[in-house]
Amino acid sequence: MNNIYIYNTFINLLNLIELLINNKIKPYNIKDESYYRNLFDNIINLEQNNNIDIIPIIIKKIGIKNFNIIYKVFLSNENNKELIIYYFYLNYLKYKEKVLYMKNLKCVNKALKISKHVGNEAHKLKGFVRFKELKNNVLYAEIEPTNNILEIISLHFKKRMPNEYWCICDNKRNIISIYNKEKIIFIPKDKFNFLTNELSNNENNIENLWTTFYKTIGIETRKNDRCRMNFMPKKYWKYIIEMKEEL
Amino acid sequence: MELKEKLKILSDSAKYDASCSSSGSYRKNNGIGNAAPAGICHSFSSDGRCISLLKILLTNCCIFDCKYCINRKTNNIKRAIFTSEEICNLTINFYKRNYIEGLFLSSGIIKNPDYTMELLIETITLLRNKYHFSGYIHAKAIPGANNNLVKKLGLLVDRLSANIELPTEESIKLLAPNKNSNKVENIMNLIKNSKSRKFVPAGQSTQMIIGASKESDYEIISKSEYMYNKYNLKRVFYSAYISVNKDKYLPTLELPPLKRENRLYQADWLLRFYGFKTNDLLDQNNPNFNILLDPKANWALKHMEEFPKEITTCTYNDLLKIPGIGLKSAKRIITSRNKFKINFNDLKNMGIVLKRAKYFITCNGKYFIDSSLLKKQFIETNLILEDKEKINKSITQLSLFNE
Ligand code: SF4
Repeated sequence: MNNIYIYNTFINLLNLIELLINNKIKPYNIKDESYYRNLFDNIINLEQNNNIDIIPIIIKKIGIKNFNIIYKVFLSNENNKELIIYYFYLNYLKYKEKVLYMKNLKCVNKALKISKHVGNEAHKLKGFVRFKELKNNVLYAEIEPTNNILEIISLHFKKRMPNEYWCICDNKRNIISIYNKEKIIFIPKDKFNFLTNELSNNENNIENLWTTFYKTIGIETRKNDRCRMNFMPKKYWKYIIEMKEEL
Repeated sequence: MELKEKLKILSDSAKYDASCSSSGSYRKNNGIGNAAPAGICHSFSSDGRCISLLKILLTNCCIFDCKYCINRKTNNIKRAIFTSEEICNLTINFYKRNYIEGLFLSSGIIKNPDYTMELLIETITLLRNKYHFSGYIHAKAIPGANNNLVKKLGLLVDRLSANIELPTEESIKLLAPNKNSNKVENIMNLIKNSKSRKFVPAGQSTQMIIGASKESDYEIISKSEYMYNKYNLKRVFYSAYISVNKDKYLPTLELPPLKRENRLYQADWLLRFYGFKTNDLLDQNNPNFNILLDPKANWALKHMEEFPKEITTCTYNDLLKIPGIGLKSAKRIITSRNKFKINFNDLKNMGIVLKRAKYFITCNGKYFIDSSLLKKQFIETNLILEDKEKINKSITQLSLFNE
């Protein structure tokens, strides 16, 4: 039988991995609750430990930089990300900092690649997110990122616009982050219904001004579509208002 | 005039300024906005350049008559001027919607330099104090304005710049008859000598137009080197000349010299981060860069006696001299080889691209390729081929990233 360990949250996953490693258990796989059982699977649901103290414990062992790698891998879209985290962590404990240069270890190579990829996407989205102002003064944005970077960019906007009400909706995962000038909360999209709220009166006008600026600023004799596409892949154009016309 | 029309005119006349970078500053947020230490691009224009700032002129009216400039006095074009409130509203509304990282405000010279500076100061004061904008602001200082006004503006913005535009006094006389380099360098000096940390926290930059005047690359890069050393500039931007005016003193170019611009940016990097000097790269007899080959590879081919470098033992500075090895790769090699003995496979695993480097290195005494192939001619042909593939992709990348 294949032992599949089930977890529900990131904190829970970290606790689970710590437990497995301390008991020298090698899981066949680790999956979240939505996992669909296969014939030869042996599903193991341990008591769900959601003790947040696991974070400082892990950071103490591997440093904040490597903890961030784990966190970003967790946010990725990768199929076996839990196992990658497990083996990355295990190998780190064994080889320490040297492990970062042992890219012939598959899990290390993958972990580094994935975390970089997630970081890049988050950085890109910090630029590509477009808010619209609603009648009630709330700024509202929609995204469909490949990776689950909503949390990263929400923290960015909290620093940037601490005195605005805003929310960002990840349409792919149906989660929405809401900022109330104090803190950010994350809730399922369907639990929230002000999205029917109309756009503010000024909104079309502003979008129009921005699109005008965008069109004017490009230099005709330097036109370079390939270059633009490299930096701003088409998959993001849907919500980038100045690109709508070209879509 | 409608706001939209104004925006069109005043962004159109600002678009030739190459700098749009917005990194390297930090400002406490007292209202809306912060300046992120690593630059963020919010969009990319049709020419593939990063858009991070609302780049506009306060006005395109100008009392001067610089030959290369679309806004020169003698051009018969539509003129406009923004009010301070209009600029503030645009900035705040764009910023809130995350279209931009901040404002890049420049201006034609209206009435006189002091008056123009005062308008810039008034606008930015309003934006900072009434609209509580703490995001990034890059302003142009107007050459010839009173020193006190420059100091005042410097305390409000993240970056201040004065464009030298042309590398020699001779060209300035010819093409920008109302200007002189002393006035521009006076501003650079003022910025450099300011002691306050709140004064222009992201440093100063400047720009030179490439191909409007007859200077060689040697003269251009020498000027850059001189300005980097003398005024601690953060960046020199190079802007391929675009024929906007007809004039007997100007060349008529169908397309801007983008490749040349790219080579200058590459050389600029070598000056700032790789320990090269202008005289290593060019001299009176070879005053221009090889359009077919990047400056570092070009240098390496002329100094084959310096190679191969032994990757496992050579110094950091030696690593930087190897074509195809950048700053990141060099650092990675140093940290790795301190931890374990590296071989060619490790280099690959570290993500180091050997395409160009392979002709110039040994690893534990071994060449990566058959050493009988290491003839100068052979290497040159291959490097040129590879450069060609790369260049279309990277031409704007180099110029606008990696602050
Ligand atoms: S001073 Fe010269 S370069 Fe500047 S706007 Fe006037 S004409 Fe153009």
